[in-house]
Amino acid sequence: MTLLEVCDLTVTFGRHRRPALDGVCFSLDAGCRLGVIGESGSGKTVTALAVMGLLPEYARVSGTVELAGHQITQLSESGLARLRGDVVSMVFQEPMTALDPTMRVGRQVAEVLRLHAGAESGPARAAVVRMLAEVGLSDPDRVADAYPHQLSGGQRQRVILAMALINAPDLVICDEPTTALDVTVQATVLAKLDEVLEASGAACLFISHDLAVVSQVCDQVVVMLDGRIVETGSVADLFANPQHPYTKGLVAAAQLDAATPGQRLPVVEDFYQPDAGAKR
Amino acid sequence: MSADLFRTERLTRRYHNDGREVPALTDVDLRIAPGARLGIVGESGSGKSTLVRLLAGLDRPTSGRVWFEGTQITALPERRRGFLRASVQMVFQDPRSSLNPRMRVGDIITEPLRSRLLRPQLDGLDHRTRLAEVLAAVDLEPDAADRYPHEFSGGQRQRIAIARALAPKPEVLIADEPVSALDVSVRAQVLNLLTDLVAAEGLSLIVVSHDLLVVRHLCDELAVMRAGRIVESGPTEQVYTHPSTEYTAALLAAIPRIRTGPGEPGASR
Ligand SMILES: Nc1ncnc2c1ncn2[C@@H]1O[C@H](COP(=O)(O)OP(=O)(O)O)[C@@H](O)[C@H]1O
Ligand SMILES: Nc1ncnc2c1ncn2[C@@H]1O[C@H](COP(=O)(O)OP(=O)(O)O)[C@@H](O)[C@H]1O
Ligand SMILES: [Mg+2]
Ligand SMILES: [Mg+2]
Repeated sequence: MTLLEVCDLTVTFGRHRRPALDGVCFSLDAGCRLGVIGESGSGKTVTALAVMGLLPEYARVSGTVELAGHQITQLSESGLARLRGDVVSMVFQEPMTALDPTMRVGRQVAEVLRLHAGAESGPARAAVVRMLAEVGLSDPDRVADAYPHQLSGGQRQRVILAMALINAPDLVICDEPTTALDVTVQATVLAKLDEVLEASGAACLFISHDLAVVSQVCDQVVVMLDGRIVETGSVADLFANPQHPYTKGLVAAAQLDAATPGQRLPVVEDFYQPDAGAKR
Repeated sequence: MSADLFRTERLTRRYHNDGREVPALTDVDLRIAPGARLGIVGESGSGKSTLVRLLAGLDRPTSGRVWFEGTQITALPERRRGFLRASVQMVFQDPRSSLNPRMRVGDIITEPLRSRLLRPQLDGLDHRTRLAEVLAAVDLEPDAADRYPHEFSGGQRQRIAIARALAPKPEVLIADEPVSALDVSVRAQVLNLLTDLVAAEGLSLIVVSHDLLVVRHLCDELAVMRAGRIVESGPTEQVYTHPSTEYTAALLAAIPRIRTGPGEPGASR
């Protein structure tokens, strides 16, 4: 069953600028995981914001975004607010900007819950602590009483994950969720994400510039370049057998372990033959 | 002794954080030979940045000593550290925050040359000529000098930071997470640039990264840090293929790799 259908989505900021998104089409089935890869500025975050209904007012939007039967681009702000959390939630790259530094973490998670479930404070606290434990925080009671700056980067990102999952949404959008973490912490956060998505059956739109991470988490991938989708496929096919020169370049450049140390690494430009007519 | 590029003896640095003592670095004994390409890896908070800042003379140890080319730098007053500032240059992770947004790129790059401390070491070096040389070395157009950092992409800004580090003709380049903030395609370009520069300029190189693959690509020796100590060191390939501690093995296992078939290790689906 299709959960999210994006059709011919074009987004322009300002009259004289190139569109940030240009005719983007993709769909995502319930419970499935779609990765979005591409270099910075290619339009990944704008895509996520469009699905969340969070584009700034001055953005000019055409095309359609249909999420669980709702036309996102047509919804009022209150209609959107109802969807966020219940149907769709988002995990951002930098946990520090997503958390209020002056509020205890447990209250911030409870606030999300209260907004949508109208829970009382006693049961809310229990639900928050349960959720913090579920995302792999080993001392959830202590974490609930901590302020964000008292937690490590990995702990903060788990708190964000708990906020995104506590209302059991149908779709979780993750925008570079582990880019600010080191490899060891990243591995544990990704394993936890995998586990909780699996358990809840939520679908995931997973944005990352790290191809390896996307290949670990997702079933399907789209490759973005300059606001367009240049290639789509299953993880297994697309990474083993990339077709578009840009994708070929990305896959080659990403495989540091395939290169001989000290030898020149392949770069994207190597895959654009000057006579092939394929132009970036 | 004086054959070492760097030597440290029981190098220790403790910070004080809200009354709590943080042992960032504890009793590190390290020798680095001239021409070495040394990688320092470890999880975040393990003391990598603390160690290289002490080597570069940007911080002072709580106890222990550092020698650079036979001179003990730990006790030297700032005014006598000029030779160190010229010989040892650093490149940091985030080129956005390490470049002054209000300065033109040309002034940023030649800033080390104008330093009062460095001037005696760099006598006779023509700033305009050197600017043109280092811009060419990092593959930036000459007219980049007249523009501001925000006009450049992340990869280009990292090239600017590298050009600035090269300007005073250092012997040692210390790069602290130089590619961690970059896209994969840009990362490959910057790694190629570093490889070429080290060969062309005959630099010694010290690279800090939480990603063992980055360090493996650039370095022939490896030191692995955990909780302020070096827990394992040796030739890169040896540590990479036969890690002697579980900690290093875990660092290696955590590196995400591209999965191309269904049901490969590490993938749950
Ligand atoms: N709020 C905004 N106002 C103006 N331009 C924007 C805004 N958000 C994004 N853009 C532009 O849209 C393009 C795509 O950006 P983004 O989706 O953030 O890229 P990515 O997430 O792939 O790095 C970029 O050129 C960016 O500068
Ligand atoms: N200026 C500082 N003040 C207080 N504590 C610090 C400071 N710099 C680093 N630390 C602490 O020292 C330890 C080692 O930090 P660092 O050398 O930055 O590690 P790494 O570079 O390996 O991530 C960490 O616990 C860190 O929080
Ligand atoms: Mg983005
Ligand atoms: Mg560091």
